[in-house]
Order: sequence, then structure tokens, then C-alpha cells
Amino acid sequence: MADQDTIDLVKTIEVDKYKYGFETDIESELAPKGLDESTVRYISAKKNEPAWMLEWRLEAFRVWKEMIEPTWAKVHYPKIDFQDIHYYAAPKSQAAPKSLDEIDPKLLETYAKLGIPLKEQEILAGVRKQGEKSQLDEDGNEIGQSRVAVDAVFDSVSVVTTFKDELAKAGVIFCSISEALQKHPELVKQYLGSVVPQGDNFYAALNAAVFSDGSFVYVPPGVRCPMELSTYFRMNAKNTGQFERTLIIAEKGTYVSYLEGCTAPMREENQLHAAVVELIALDDAEIKYSTVQNWFPGDAEGKGGIYNFVTKRGDCRGDRAKISWTQVETGSAITWKYPSVILRGESSRGEFYSIAISNGRQQVDSGTKMIHLGKNSSSRIISKGIAAGRSDNTYRGLVSAHRKATNARNFTQCDSLLIGDKCGAHTVPYIESKTSTAQFEHEATTSKISDDQMFYCMSRGLSQEEAVALIVNGFVRDVLQQLPMEFMAETQKLIGISLEGSVG
Amino acid sequence: MLKIENLHVKLEDENREILKGLSLTVKPGEVHAIMGPNGSGKSTLSYVLAGREGYEVTEGSVTYNGEDMLALEPHQRAAKGLFLAFQYPIEIPGVQTMQFLKVAINAQRKARGEKELSIPEFMRFVKERAAKLNISQDMLKRPVNVGFSGGEKKRAEILQMAVLEPSLCVLDETDSGLDIDALKVVSDGVNALRSPERAMIVITHYQRLLEHIVPDFVHVLSGGRIVKSGGKELALELEANGYADYAEKAA
Amino acid sequence: MTTALAKTSAEEALGISLPHRRMEEWRWTDLRARLAKPYAPIESAAKASDIDRLLSTSPFAKLVRHRVVFVNGKFDAGRSKLVGPDFSATVASRHTVEDPLIAMNTSLKPDGVTLRFAGQTAELVEIVHVAVATVQAMAIRNRIEVADGASASVIETFVGEGDYVVNAVTEISVGKGAKLDRLKIEREAAVATHLSHVIYDLGENAKLNDITLTNGSTLNRQNGTCNFHGQYAEAKISGAYLLKGKQHADTALVINHAVPHCVSRELFKIVLDENARGIFQGKVVVARDAQKTDGKQSSHALLLSEYAEFDAKPELEIYADDVVCGHGATAGDINHDHMFYLKSRGIPEAEAKSLLIAAFVGEVFDLVADEAAQAALVEIAAEWLVKT
Repeated sequence: MADQDTIDLVKTIEVDKYKYGFETDIESELAPKGLDESTVRYISAKKNEPAWMLEWRLEAFRVWKEMIEPTWAKVHYPKIDFQDIHYYAAPKSQAAPKSLDEIDPKLLETYAKLGIPLKEQEILAGVRKQGEKSQLDEDGNEIGQSRVAVDAVFDSVSVVTTFKDELAKAGVIFCSISEALQKHPELVKQYLGSVVPQGDNFYAALNAAVFSDGSFVYVPPGVRCPMELSTYFRMNAKNTGQFERTLIIAEKGTYVSYLEGCTAPMREENQLHAAVVELIALDDAEIKYSTVQNWFPGDAEGKGGIYNFVTKRGDCRGDRAKISWTQVETGSAITWKYPSVILRGESSRGEFYSIAISNGRQQVDSGTKMIHLGKNSSSRIISKGIAAGRSDNTYRGLVSAHRKATNARNFTQCDSLLIGDKCGAHTVPYIESKTSTAQFEHEATTSKISDDQMFYCMSRGLSQEEAVALIVNGFVRDVLQQLPMEFMAETQKLIGISLEGSVG
Repeated sequence: MLKIENLHVKLEDENREILKGLSLTVKPGEVHAIMGPNGSGKSTLSYVLAGREGYEVTEGSVTYNGEDMLALEPHQRAAKGLFLAFQYPIEIPGVQTMQFLKVAINAQRKARGEKELSIPEFMRFVKERAAKLNISQDMLKRPVNVGFSGGEKKRAEILQMAVLEPSLCVLDETDSGLDIDALKVVSDGVNALRSPERAMIVITHYQRLLEHIVPDFVHVLSGGRIVKSGGKELALELEANGYADYAEKAA
Repeated sequence: MTTALAKTSAEEALGISLPHRRMEEWRWTDLRARLAKPYAPIESAAKASDIDRLLSTSPFAKLVRHRVVFVNGKFDAGRSKLVGPDFSATVASRHTVEDPLIAMNTSLKPDGVTLRFAGQTAELVEIVHVAVATVQAMAIRNRIEVADGASASVIETFVGEGDYVVNAVTEISVGKGAKLDRLKIEREAAVATHLSHVIYDLGENAKLNDITLTNGSTLNRQNGTCNFHGQYAEAKISGAYLLKGKQHADTALVINHAVPHCVSRELFKIVLDENARGIFQGKVVVARDAQKTDGKQSSHALLLSEYAEFDAKPELEIYADDVVCGHGATAGDINHDHMFYLKSRGIPEAEAKSLLIAAFVGEVFDLVADEAAQAALVEIAAEWLVKT
């Protein structure tokens, strides 16, 4: 069934098109190009931030100035001129988040075109009319297509967050981080930088200095978040960088599932995206974080595309806490991203499920770190890398067990698939075990799509590209199944699109 | 010989009681069959007797020839004459079957204060018994249970039993995964070991094994307790009517 | 942030630069900190009685007829005995691999021999290195050449007493259709440091079977670079570590599949007791043209003490699509199911443990072609286990 869907989806694809590559013609307010202390002050002032926040940013900026760009990743690109970037861009009509009715229709149109309806009525239309009672199953969960609350980030600002009121009823805070700084400064102050400190790495420090917006989630003790939360990032303005910061706090005994999507217009120059995501899970809390990253990858010759240098880290701060990262990486010219979990709590659990597809001239260096500190902590890593065209695709990961992490468990499976003989697939795992009771298992394989598989599929009537998409979808199945329903079909389609032109 | 009294066992990691007051007495020369539905605690009983970790005895006792068996390490129990034929024999890469048998037999002899076997004595002894069970020299050279088929594994278990000459044999679902021919070979092997000094506990789900290894007593294990005991005719009754009656009683 | 590192006393005394932990390949081994004394190049010879006593401790002392002896890094013609293969005591340093250990070796002006095998040599040839020194360093650079179609079996043994650093570079060339079995036994003195780099160059259809037992020294770092120059060659490079106390051993192997149709196999079995630390870094590089490469690598660590530590970096760098490559790495203590099974058959704990450890490293010893040499390894392991 799912396979047939894939075939059908692939059939509908228009060859060689990045369908999110359009540009929205909207007037932007830009910070002057370049970065110094005044830029940091400008951004902080725009956001009307408290003094401590400005000081925090300035501290990060000072650390950043002393740092050098990391060179250990297997990616190559011309030196970035950090003075040639606008560090702040906001639609003029949208200086501050407003209610839906006040949003510039051009923005609504943009998101509609991206398949992200922001008007709650539109979202509901497919499910039920407003005011109508929802159907609940025995456990009180809604039946059928679930609703998703969206925080839409356009360039440097959050334009709207949907379903805020309904979430508030459950006690869940879901808003832009700018708004959180105004309304819940104590929470932000307590947790910001507690997982990814200002000076953690070059790009995290840069982000800490200049981040302009992002999402904030707080789930109070014992609450199971009533709907999926999501952020949709859109980079539109020219010569800008996007630096968003996401902070999710799951108090004791909570559950939250968070989705993230990203796209950008097709442009000839490269654009920088340096985000930071911090997750905090306390006792018995579970955070499920899913990403479908589809930034503009550049054209077939490697011109343009996003430099995606992202720091994502979760902290299982409580016992039995669980953090699960699922990522589908198909976009960006360069991806440098290692969503990690610090397994601090006893019996805490970390998971990383990844599909990374590179084609054209894309370079991916991605993986995870599972840092076992707590007793009986366990982690699981499933990584599926697919390299096509002239791309390079690297899995880089670390699994470590501290001396006190008795009975820590890890299972890692990294599989790479090469399509064509001009690409590269690499695996760079680091394993560090400091306790005899830790059991680590790591396996990696590299293979190609066998001629037999291709022949078999084609003898059943599939075209070459359909066959490749089908086989690749099978290859990534273990990870696909981790995605929320809403993302699965989208992802299968995306895999087909990403691999276009990879065969023949 | 073996006396199990009011045995209560729970899993160490979970708060779930599996055996809930099981009692059983086995005398030399007797063959007891324990039958029961899945999840009734059959395998737990065999593991607790052999001393596998992960189980906690919360109440009751197990004595073997008057000695508290629960206080002994697994290898001490083996030296006292207990042998468990595993339902799923463990694969041990790198350890040759022949070497394994030699180390085991001599360890037991040493523990009992007997002289160790010389290499030629040992070789003769094993080869003779292996031949009866259709076990090739090649199999003896391979690592313990590694790459053995289901039938080969069960035959290798019986060979170990024949070589180690225990006084109490516990056979845990020895028939599972065997075809008719293999079942015959295994049963013949077991029957050859029946003697007035040796007792056996045969754990099985189905009656068919008991056509080959005819028991003196049959017990029905359900819900962690023996709910009915009888002669071999009880097995036939179970075959005809199933375990449904007993499942209710236990609940 | 890239300030130059101050010279250590050893670097001053030897006039060299040691690798440091900022180098990716040296992230887990701090050679600068371990060599915290002013090790000077060795000049004095050892006492004859010490040399002969140490020579007799080689497990192959009675096994081999052909022996090449080095004492404190110098070729000892008087004690060497070689009947048959053509050999000469010339230093051949053709390789210019960029590697800090090779650079160190070169700057320490190594002595060495070239062993050339022209025909089918069934007999074992042992190169034995004896060191008796106090805060001194020595370097050796040997070359083993197996001509096209020839075959050879070489054992390299390292034994010694005192506090010293050995830097041994071995260049190995296995010609077309040639075959080499090489066994290395590292049983240096307890406080010694053993550094080595082996470069393997394999011709078409060549077969290499290389096994290293790492058992001695306080710090061991063994690098290997294996280059395939002709198609259909096969390289098996394996190792076993038996370490305890504060021993630290780090193997860094790079397999370069530059041509198609070659096979590489790496198997490392690492046993760590007490505070020992074992490291395995293996990299398999498959070049764009090296289609049909079959490369497998596995490293398995058995940690017997809660203070032991294992680090691994099994790396794949693959540019060809029609290949079968993979690696596996595991770390853990003794398998509890195995222990229970053995105990249920009457085998006491300590004996069961020894049996399982011996079986664990035995998988590497099984690869040794020569039966007598294999038995010698089993014996070393048994002795080590008794003392554990």
C-alpha cells in the first residue's frame, strides 16, 4: 500500500524542480550588513529584550569573536564573509507578531503555497467544523487526522502561532521565543543556554549573539500536549542569514511531539542558517522532535543553496526521560548537524533516526552524539545515508558511556547507499566506553542498489526512477516509521524528488 | 531426591510473580512430566532449578538430597547432579564443543573429588556416546551450538547429558523444533539414560513427546502452580481437552 | 586558538616533535604526556647475559632456525642466523608517508635489514628485538620483500627490560601472486613505550595475513597503512590485545583500496582488565575506481573491570558505488548467558571466565597459519589469564 503510494507520488513529480523555490515579494526591514556589537544591540532593541538578555548575547558575541570555524567536518566551501550578511530581516508589515486577521495576506499566501495553512479555520476544514465536537477514541485521543499547531517563522521573525489559546487551556505555552522573553522571562532565563551554552561551538556562539526568533514550548508537569506542535521556517530575504533558537521544556511526566519544516527560495548565492535547538526533559517526560529539512540545496552545478550549520541537543535531565530525534535531511548545500542527547537521568533514553539524502553537489556531514551519564540509560541510532550525483554524505557520531553509566546500552546501525559512481558515502563513528557493564553494539554497511533489485522492479513495470525511489523508500523504512503520520507521505514524496536525475 | 515446597518466584526487574506456590517431590528413578500452557511458568521453573540470574525466590524452598539447592551456584548444582537441557541452547562462539565437554566433565569430577579423565579416556567416552546420538566428529569440532540446526542443538544437549551423567535431568521443551525423526533420536537418547538412580523432569507443551518418553507422573502447571497431578493417562486427557479447564482454575 | 605547544623534555632530548592530541588520529593517546622524561637516543650496548636471557624468553626461541636479532635498535650480526633467504643489512627507506611516527623514526637514524624472499619459504623467520635500556629511545626500520610468486612467514618479536621507547617502522612489499604470513608479538618491558608503523604494499593477487598480539609495554601505539597496488589482492590484518594494569594500546589502521576487486578483512579482539585502555581506529578508504571492493572490519572489546576503557573509531570513506563494505564494533563485559550455560554444566566461575576469554581472543589466534606459532599464542594467553 505504502509502496504503491510512493510510486504514484513519484509519478506526479515534475522533473528537476525545487518546488519551494519561489520568492515572496514583500518589503523587508533589514539590519545593516555586518556584525559587531551594535548589530547585537540592534537586534536586542528590536525585540525589546530585558537587559540580561542583551548582556547574554554580548557575552556570546565576545566568545564568538575569539573562536575559529570548525574544519573537522567533511565539507568544503569558500570562506564565509560574516560581514556580508544581514543579521536581521523582518517583513515590514510584520514588525511584531499579531493576530491572524492582521497578518499580511502575502505571508498567508506564502505559507498556503508551501502547504502550511495558517488560518485555523483552514486547518480545521479538513477535519471538522469549528465548534463541532471532535470524535474521541476510548483513551480520549482524537480520531482521524490530528491537528497541528504551527509557529511560522519568516526570515527573522515569527509571524504567527496558531492554536495558542487551545494549548493554553491545557497549560502548554507555545509561542515565539521573542514573545516568551516578554511574557515568561523567568522560564527563558532559567533554561536558555543550559543545554547548548553560548560558547559551545562557533555557530552556536554566533546564534546566541544574533538569534532573532524561534519557538518556545513549555509543557507543565503531568500534561500530555493535546496536539502536535510545529514550526515552519521560511528564509525569503536576500543576503540574510537565519538564526533561530528553539527551546522546549518538558516538565515531569509530560509528552510533546514537535515537527519542524524548512524551505527557502532558489538563489544563486549561498545563505547561512545557524540554528540552535535546546530540549529539556525532566523525570518521565518524553520529547519527540521531528525535522524535515528541505532548504534550497543549490542547483545541479552546486550554485547557491543554504549552509545549514545547526546545533541541536537534548538533555534527559530527569530519570526515565526520553528524547527522540527524527530527521529527514534532503535540502541544503551543506549540512552540518548532530542532534544529540545527554542521558543524564537514570534509565533515560535517547533515540536518533535519520534519513540523509544528498544529490547534485550537496555535502552532508550529520549524525548524533549519545552521551551516557546515568545508570541504565539506553540509546538507539538508526542512520540511513543515501548519496547520489556528485554529493558527499557523511555519518559522524559519538556514543560514550561515562564511568558511572552502569548498564548503559547502545545500538547503532548506520547504512549507506551509493547511487552512481561520482558520489561518496562515509561513516565516522566514535565509540567511547568507560564502564565494563555498558553494552555497545555498532554496525555499519555500505552498499548500492543491486542490479537484481532494479531488474526485478522494472520487470514489474516500474521506470528506473520509480524503481530507485521504491528501493530507497524500503531502505529508509525503519526511519520513516518513526515520523508522525503527517510527515510520512510528504517524506516519501520528497525522497523521490531529491533523487531525481540520480540514475540513467 | 528433589523436593520443591511452596515455591514463589518473581522476575528481578519486574514486579510480576511467575511461580505462585509450586510444590513437587521427585524420587530416584521417577520420570515426571510437567505440562502446561504458554506462560504458565514452565521455563521459569527450569531456570530457577538451574540457578539462572534474573529471578527472585520470594518464598518456599528447593532441596536436593536434603541440601538447600537455592543456596548453590549453577556450577555447584551441576556438580551435585542436576542437568538442564535448555529449550534454547546457548551458542558460544570460539569454544569448541569437545573442549567444552572436557572442561565440564573434569570440573564436575574435581568438585566431587573424583580423578580427572585422561584425554584418551575422555575421547573414547564421548565418541561412543556421540555415535549413538548420530553426532558427527565434525559437530564436536565446531564451537558450542554455533551454526547447529535446531535438531542438532537438541541432540547436542542430550549428548552433554549422556556425557555428564547427572542424577536429575530437567528437559525443557526438548521436543520443540524437532521433526519426527529427530524426536525419535532424542527420545531414544533420553530413554537410554533412564535408570533406577536417575530421575527426570520432562517439561513439555504437547503430549507427543510423552509417547516416546513415557512418564510415571504427569502434572499440570497453570498460573504458576501445579493444579492437577496424575498418571500418564492425564497427558492424553490434556491432549484431547486442552488446557482451557485449568486456565480457569488457576485464575 | 592554535598556539604552538611548548617542547617536552623528550622532544628536547631527541630533537623531534611528538604527535599531540589536537591531531585527530591522536585524540585518545597522549604521547607527549606519557613520554614525560628526557629520553635520549641510545648509544650503549646491553650486557651479553641480559641479551641472551631475554632472547630465550621469545616464545619462538626453540621454534625457529632463522633469526634476525636486534639489540637496542642495532642489528646484531653475531646473534643472527639466517640460512636460505637472501638478506642484506641495508636500510631502505623508500616511503615518505606523512606520519609523525615515521618522521620520528627517520630523525632517530634507524638501523635495519631488508629481508628478501625469492621462493617458497615454508620455514618461519623471526626478527627479534631486544631492548635493555634506561630512559632511552631507539629506532628500527626493516623491510620485508616477498618477490612475485614467492611466499614467506615472518615473526617479529619485541622483548625488553627497563624504561625505553622503541620506534619500529616495517615496510612490507608483497609482490604479484606472492603470499606473506606475518605475526608480531609485542611483549615489551612493563614500563616501556612501543611505537610502530607498518606499511604494506600489495601487488596483484597478493595475499597478506598479518596478526599482532599486543601484550607488553605501558604505552603502545601501532599504525598501519595498507595499500593495494594490483587487483584481486587480499589483506587480512588482525590483532589481539591482552592488557591490564595501566596499559594503554592504540592501533590506527588505514586500508587504501585504490584498485578494484580487492578484499580487506580486519578483526580485532581486545581484552581489558583493571585500568587498561584499548583503542582501535580503523579506516577503510575506497577510491572512485576501486569497484567491487570487499572490505570488512570488526573490533570487539571485552571489559573485565569497571575501570577498563575502550574507544573505537571504525571509519569508512567510500567513493565507489559497487562495493560491499561494513564494520562492526562491540564493547561489553562477559556475556551472562554464556556464563550461565557453562556454569549449568558444572564449570566454576573462574574457569568459565577463562574459557570464554580464551575463546574470545582465540578467534584471532585461529588465523595464524603455523600451528606451532598458534600454540605459542594460546600459551601466552593462558599464562596471562592465570595471572589475571
